[in-house]
Amino acid sequence: MTLGILGPEVSWYLAVAAFLFATGALGVLLRRSPLIVLLSLEIMLNGANLALIAFARHQGNGAGQIFALAVMAVAASEVVVGLGLIVAISRRNLDLDVDKLRTLRG
Amino acid sequence: MISKPHVDWFAISPELVLLGVAALALFVAVLVPRWLRKALAAFLCAGGFLGAFVAAGILYGRSAHGHPVVADAIVRDRFGALGMLIVAGCGLLAVFISYREPVRNGHDAEYYALLAAAGAGMAFFVTANNLMTIFLSLEWFSICLYVLCAIDVDLVGSLEAGLKYLVVGSFGSAVLLFGSALVYGATGKLGLDRIGATVSAQGLSRDVLLLAGLAMIITGLGFKSSSAPFHMWTPDVYEGSPTPVTAFMSAATKTVALVVALRVLVSAFPQEAHLWTVAVAAIACASLAIGNLAALVQRNVKRILAYSSVSHAGFMLIAVAAHNQSGARALLYYLVPYSAMSLGAFAVVAARERELGRAVTLDNLAGMGWERPLLGVAMFTFMLGFAGFPLTGGFFGKFLVFSAAVDRGWTWLVIVGVAATAVSLYYYLGVVRALYMRTGAELQLAPAGGAPPREALLQTAVLGCLAVTVASFFAVQPLVDLAKHAGRALPL
Repeated sequence: MTLGILGPEVSWYLAVAAFLFATGALGVLLRRSPLIVLLSLEIMLNGANLALIAFARHQGNGAGQIFALAVMAVAASEVVVGLGLIVAISRRNLDLDVDKLRTLRG
Repeated sequence: MISKPHVDWFAISPELVLLGVAALALFVAVLVPRWLRKALAAFLCAGGFLGAFVAAGILYGRSAHGHPVVADAIVRDRFGALGMLIVAGCGLLAVFISYREPVRNGHDAEYYALLAAAGAGMAFFVTANNLMTIFLSLEWFSICLYVLCAIDVDLVGSLEAGLKYLVVGSFGSAVLLFGSALVYGATGKLGLDRIGATVSAQGLSRDVLLLAGLAMIITGLGFKSSSAPFHMWTPDVYEGSPTPVTAFMSAATKTVALVVALRVLVSAFPQEAHLWTVAVAAIACASLAIGNLAALVQRNVKRILAYSSVSHAGFMLIAVAAHNQSGARALLYYLVPYSAMSLGAFAVVAARERELGRAVTLDNLAGMGWERPLLGVAMFTFMLGFAGFPLTGGFFGKFLVFSAAVDRGWTWLVIVGVAATAVSLYYYLGVVRALYMRTGAELQLAPAGGAPPREALLQTAVLGCLAVTVASFFAVQPLVDLAKHAGRALPL
């Protein structure tokens, strides 16, 4: 460890980050409401952010923190587009259930 | 006092041109009278892509010795410049294809603004030199594409395609991001060449974090290049989106995803080459198998072309897996005719769609070859090109890819590729059969009132794609030289 850090080892941070990421991934794969799916995507990105920040402290350079800040901005713009799409879909009176979005048969 | 990095403005000039044009087009959307908006925005967008093309060409000429610029965030080399050239060319043709597309809610100027912004993001993506700029530019053009897919809110399936692409695309980006975080955790570096240097200096090539990160980065880029098993969004999104958007996506997104995959793998992970070459070869085989077999049973032409694009991702990943100079050369060469054929084929589908007012299937394509000779001949050429027939660039593309695999000593990949080509003949020639070889009873000629007038702009775009497809066969040597010089920028 390059910096004397008070607090848990970096592996604990990584465990929490991986848990968040896995939670988000499961949410994207299993939940039906597009709103919850968007929420789960955010959880995935935040899991990655936590890992970046923990590693930045562990490695003792700031690059990871800058990266995490940039990711937050990206996550916000992604949600804006996602929510816009959901509003447009609900205006068109379509069912808000990703299982029923099957005009295009995947 | 924070030291400011030196900015090489010339290295980012294609992006700057496109971003400027995107901003102007947004002003057009609110300040210009309604009747002039579409024409002006399209003109600006086409001019922007033309400017970016010229700038990228000059950049190619003046960047013989690749070096990182702007605090090592991006790299100025011929490899990136050639990627920019392809993206700008695709964008220019996409504007021509889009112009007559009926967008029912009148958001024409915004459409061209987004197209230019997506082009700018792609141009940035191919030069990105660290994991942060890679992620940011990936999201930059992806978010533009999500909106473009959904831009026609009245078109059935367009919103659905946009949402599906957003969910799957963001999932892929998040996987790429987590992988980047793991690689950063293992090496403490974000720059691609620094990662490679740190790994070899500290002997990290067996590090668990690093290998997990590498696997996730490959997965994330696999989603973007729509290679199997990460391709499941491709047919739905290609089918649901407005066809000109599909045309642009299928050509440009695949180009940049594959170019960046090659750059990341060879500059950041040369120590792990024995692992990722096998992984990429496996993905290539999966793409070839799934893409070709699934295309056999499709009737919708856009879905056939979508699965064909999955299988072409497989062909081009063979070149990546070869991990040698001839692989880089093959990939860069193949992307030129592939982009032209893909744009052209979707342009022909767009033309037929506008004539009929409904989705194009093999059934209602019947007789088009006789009704519209130019589009028919063009589609015929694109299909033969996809299948790798001589007199089209697709032939030399496949030839170079296979010879790269042989150089690597992987003859079995060539056998898989040839088998996949043989299978693909069935559906490519199926399209040709629908165009020309239907009996009179099956023909669905133009609806009452006669065929709509020819679209000069779309036909120009198709003619351009046709010219590139055929010219890349006859001018193979200059193009291969371009690709060779670009490939030398990589540490192979």
